[in-house]
Amino acid sequence: MTMLHRPESLDEACMLLAELDDAQVYGGGTAIEILRRQGILFTEDLVDVSRIPELRAVETGPDGVRAGAMVPVRRMETDPAIRRAVPLAARTYGHVANPRVRNTATVGGNVAHGDYRLDPPTALLVLDATIEARSVRGPRSLAVREFFTGFQETALEHDEVITAITVPAQPTDAVGRFVKMSSLSANDWPSASAAALLTTEDGRRTLHLGLGALAPVPVHLSLDVSGMPTERAVSEAMAAAEPLMDPIPDVRGSSDYKRRLGLVAVREAATDVCEERTHA
Amino acid sequence: MLDQRSSENPADNTTSPASPGLSAVGSRRRRVDPAGRVRGRVTHVGDVDPGSTSTAHVALHRSTRPHARIRSVEVDEALAIDGVQAVVTGADLYAALGEHVLTGPAFQDQPAMAYDRVRYVGEPVAAVIATDLATARAATESVHVDYEDLEAVYDVDDALTGRAFVHDELRPSAVFGDLRHLNGVRDTNVNYEFRLARGDTDAVETAATGVQRRFWCPPTHHVPMELPCTVAWVEGNRLEMLTTTQTPSYVRQTVADMLRLPLSDVQVRTRPLGGSFGSKMYDRLEPLAAAIAWVLRRKVRVVASREEAFLLTTRHGARVTSAMRADADGDLVAATADIIYDTGAYADVGPRITGKSGMVASGPYRIPNVSIRSRCVYSNKPSAGPFRGFGVPQVTWSHESLIDELARRTGEDPYAYRRRHLLREGDVAAMGTVMHSADFTGCLDAVAEAVDWANPPERGEGRWRRGQGIAVGVKAVLTPTVSNAVLQLNQDASASLLISTVEMGQGSDTIMAQIVAEVLRIDSHRVHVVPADTDVTPYDTITAGSRSTYHTGNAVRLVAEQMRERLLALAAEQSGVPAGELRLTEEGISGSGHPEPLRVEDVVLRHFRARGTTLTCASNFTTDWVPYDRNTGQSAKVTEHWFAGAVAVRAAVDTWTGRIRLEHLAVSGDVGKAINPFLVEQQLSGAAITGIGHALFDELVLDQGQFVNGTLLDYQLPSLGDMPDRLTPIIVESPHRTGPFGAKGVGETGILAVAPAIANALRDAVGVRLTELPLTAERVLNAIERKRAEESPQESRQQSPQESQEGNQ
Repeated sequence: MTMLHRPESLDEACMLLAELDDAQVYGGGTAIEILRRQGILFTEDLVDVSRIPELRAVETGPDGVRAGAMVPVRRMETDPAIRRAVPLAARTYGHVANPRVRNTATVGGNVAHGDYRLDPPTALLVLDATIEARSVRGPRSLAVREFFTGFQETALEHDEVITAITVPAQPTDAVGRFVKMSSLSANDWPSASAAALLTTEDGRRTLHLGLGALAPVPVHLSLDVSGMPTERAVSEAMAAAEPLMDPIPDVRGSSDYKRRLGLVAVREAATDVCEERTHA
Repeated sequence: MLDQRSSENPADNTTSPASPGLSAVGSRRRRVDPAGRVRGRVTHVGDVDPGSTSTAHVALHRSTRPHARIRSVEVDEALAIDGVQAVVTGADLYAALGEHVLTGPAFQDQPAMAYDRVRYVGEPVAAVIATDLATARAATESVHVDYEDLEAVYDVDDALTGRAFVHDELRPSAVFGDLRHLNGVRDTNVNYEFRLARGDTDAVETAATGVQRRFWCPPTHHVPMELPCTVAWVEGNRLEMLTTTQTPSYVRQTVADMLRLPLSDVQVRTRPLGGSFGSKMYDRLEPLAAAIAWVLRRKVRVVASREEAFLLTTRHGARVTSAMRADADGDLVAATADIIYDTGAYADVGPRITGKSGMVASGPYRIPNVSIRSRCVYSNKPSAGPFRGFGVPQVTWSHESLIDELARRTGEDPYAYRRRHLLREGDVAAMGTVMHSADFTGCLDAVAEAVDWANPPERGEGRWRRGQGIAVGVKAVLTPTVSNAVLQLNQDASASLLISTVEMGQGSDTIMAQIVAEVLRIDSHRVHVVPADTDVTPYDTITAGSRSTYHTGNAVRLVAEQMRERLLALAAEQSGVPAGELRLTEEGISGSGHPEPLRVEDVVLRHFRARGTTLTCASNFTTDWVPYDRNTGQSAKVTEHWFAGAVAVRAAVDTWTGRIRLEHLAVSGDVGKAINPFLVEQQLSGAAITGIGHALFDELVLDQGQFVNGTLLDYQLPSLGDMPDRLTPIIVESPHRTGPFGAKGVGETGILAVAPAIANALRDAVGVRLTELPLTAERVLNAIERKRAEESPQESRQQSPQESQEGNQ
C-alpha cells in the first residue's frame, strides 16, 4: 500500500529520501497522479513536501526571482513582482495546461517531471535559471541548461529534493516571446513550443531560443544577430534550430510534421522579438 | 460566440408559444434543474450510496490478446488476497447460465465475460469481487490467464479477405426477426449485408461528369462525462438493478432471458444520465453485473474507469467507396456506394446501422439510378455500437464530399447545385419511401444565409486562406418502435408522468412536461417526470435515435388528451352540462351557461371525496414499417419520419501549419415543430460541436488491436479553443402531420453534415480534397504541399491536377 509521508522540515524530508528505498517527492501531484494512474510510477513511499514553509517562499529583487519549489505555477504567472522581473518566464508559466492545474502544480514539480513537452523549461533555459536541490549530503545548484539529461530524465539524484529555482532578472531592454503549438485539440499537449529572448549588450544583439516538445529534452540555443534585419535574423534562427530538433513521433504527428511546426514556432517567436512584439 | 436567436429576430420563423403562462409547447423555458446539472447536485447512478457494507465491488481482469483461445484461468493467487471475496470467471458464468450468458441486440454473440475465446484486447475474462474497489482492482493483476493465440482480424481488409474469423458462426438474436436467415452461416466476418438497387447504374456509362473516391471515417468514442456504473442485487428471487442505461426496457428483457426469469422478476432503474450519446445502450455492464449478482447472490457494484469506458463501445470505423455521376446538363443520373462498417468483436447494432445508414448513402437527392452495398464486418477490436448519428455521418461524409466535387466539376455553385437536386416534399427517395416533413432546401437556405454565402470571403494570398463550405444530411428515425405513457393527475392539479424515456441531458423531462402542460392547460413546472424504473414506468423501446420527442411525445400527448376527456366527463357528471359543451382552460373547466369555471382541483376532490388522490390514464403509441426488400432495399415505408439538417462553414486555413480555424459555423435542422426552441438550439449546437471534433481530430487509434490513445490524456475532444468564433443554430419547422404538435426529434440532426461542410470549406480555401477523417493539421498541410509540388512546374495553371475524371483511386 502507498505510504504518504508528510515531513515538516527540509531536513526531515532529506532524511526520508535517504532512508527510504524508492521514495518519490510529491509536490502538487498533477503529474504524479497521472503517472500513477498510467501504471508508470509504482513508488510506494510518497514524500509530500507541502508542509515545509521555506519551500513556499518567493524572493524578488533587482537580480531576479528565487521561487521555492512549492510555489504554485499560477503564482509565477500572476505575481506582479515576478511579472516585472522575468516577464518571459511569467508569460510562459501562464501557458501551462489550464488554471486548475496551474493552481495545483508547483515550480519544483514542473521541472522535476522532466517531460520534454513542458512549457516553463523553454523560458528557464533562455533566462539561464538555476535549480537548487538538497539532500542529506548538503545543498547543490544545477544550471537548468544541464538539468534535463534525457527522455523523462533529469540530473537530480534519487535522494535529492528541489528546493528552489532562481531566475536571473530579464534585462529591461530585452524582448521575450513564447509560442506554443498543438497539432490536434487546441488545449492538448504542445507538439512544438519556442521561447525567444532578444538581448542587447555592448551593441551585440543575441537571440536566445528555448525549444519544447521538439526533442527528447528541452533544447537551448543562442545566436548573434547583430546588425541583421528581422528577416535574416529569423531565417538564421530557423536554420540554427532545425538541426537541434529531433521530435518524437506519436498520435499527435510525425517527426517531420512536428519539426515543421517547430520551425513555425521559432519563426513566430523570433519575428516577434525582433520586431519588439512582446504580447503573450 | 453562440448566437441565441431571440423572438425579436425577424428571420426567426419559429412560432411563439401559444400559452406563455404555462411554459408549454413552444416555450423556451429552462430545463428541469439546470443548476443541479451544472453544480453536480443531480444524483447520478454512481452517486447513489450503495447502502450497506454488504455491497461488493467488482473489478475486471481483461484480455491482453486480440484473439486467443483461453486455455486456463488461474485465480487462487487473487483469492488469497485480503479483502477479496470471490473471483468469478467467464467459464463460471457459462457453467451456471449456459448459452444464455450470450446476449446482444442483433446477434447473440457477446458473452457477459469471455469463457472460451477472447476477441479483443481488454475483453473481461474474470471478475474480482472484493470489499472495496481499490482491492478489487489491485487483485485483478493476480489473475493469470493461459492463452493460445489465434490469428487476428485487425481491419476491414483482414475481415473481408483474411482466413481468420472472429466468430465460428453467426447467431442472430431474437430481437431483430429479419436476421433469422443468417443463422448458422460459417466462415465469414460479414455478419450483415444490405443492398439497394434503384434504376440501373450500369446503364449510365455515358455520364458527362463523374467523381469517384474512397472515404474513411475512423472509430471514435463518445466520452460522456458520467462513467458507466451498474449496481445489481438479488431480492427474494428477483434481480434488481440500478444502472446507467438509455435502454432500461431492453436491459430488463435481456436480463430476464439470461437468468430465465419472468419480466416481473427483473427490475431495472436508472437515474438521470450525465451524457451518453449512444454509449450506454444495450449490453454494457448490465449482463455482467446481473450474472455475477445472480451467481453469487451478492449485491455487486461495477463502475468503469475512464480507460475502461473506452473499451465498452466505440463508433464504427467505416470505409465508403462511392461515386456520383451527372449528365451534360449537370443533372445527377447515378450514384453508387460500397460501404464497410467495422463493428469490432461483437455486432451490437452494427447490422442495423449497416442497413439504415447504407440506405441513405446517396444523400437526400433526386437520383434516378442508385446502387448501394453496405456490409457489417467483425474484427478483433472493441465492439462498435450506436453513436449520435447511427452510422449516417460516415455516409454523409461520402455523399457530401462527392456532390461538392461534382458541383465544382460542372462549374456550379455547391450550394445552388445541391439545392437543384434536393428531395422535395412528396418525392420518393432512393429506397422507395416518400419524403414528408423533411425541408432540405429550407435547412440549406437557412445556413447559407447565416454565413452570407452569396458574399464569399476573400480567399487571401498569404499564410491564411479563407473559404466556405456547405453540406446537408438525411437520417431516418428508428422504426418500428413502441412507446407507452402513464399519467397521474394529482388532486392538486399537478401531474406525475410515468415514461421510460431516460433523461440524459437532452431535455426529455422538460419537453414531455411541456406537452402535458399544453394539453391539460397547467404550468409545465407542475409536471414531474418519474425516472425510468421498469417496475413502475411502462415499456419504451429505447431512448435513442432522436425518437423520443415524436414517439414518446405522441404517447404523452395521447395520455394527456385522455386525461382531458376524463376530466371533462367528470365535470359533466358533476355539473349536468354535456361534456361536449365543456372546455378545459387555464382557469378550469367551463362551458356555455357556466360563467364560473370548475377548478380541476375541485372536480377531482368531488369525485374521490378525498385530498391527495390521483386520476390515472395510460396510452400507447406504436409505429410500423415495411421491411426493405432483401435484394433491392426498396420499402414503401422504411421509416416513420425523416431528419433533415444542414451545415455551412466559413473557415480560415493556416497554410504554414495546416490548422483549420472555424470562423463561423451555422447548423440547421428541420424539427417539425420546436416544443422548446431553447433546447432545440442546444441540441443543434451540441451535436455540431461533437461533429467538429470528428471533423478535425477526434479518433481512436489502434495498433494491432490495442488502443494507443484510450485515455483522456491522449484522446482528443473539442475544447473551448476549438469552438468556431461564431456558432449559429437555426430551427427549421416543417410540421409533421402525425408529430405531437407537428414535432420530431433533433438529437442527431446537427452532427450529420459537419465534417463534410468543413472539408468543403477547406477545398474552397486551398483547393485540396481530403477523403480521410479527421482533417488533422498534418493531413491538411501534406495535401497543400502535394498540391504545391504538383503545380509548381506550371504556375499559371488554374485547376489542380486532382481534378481528373476518375478521382483519386
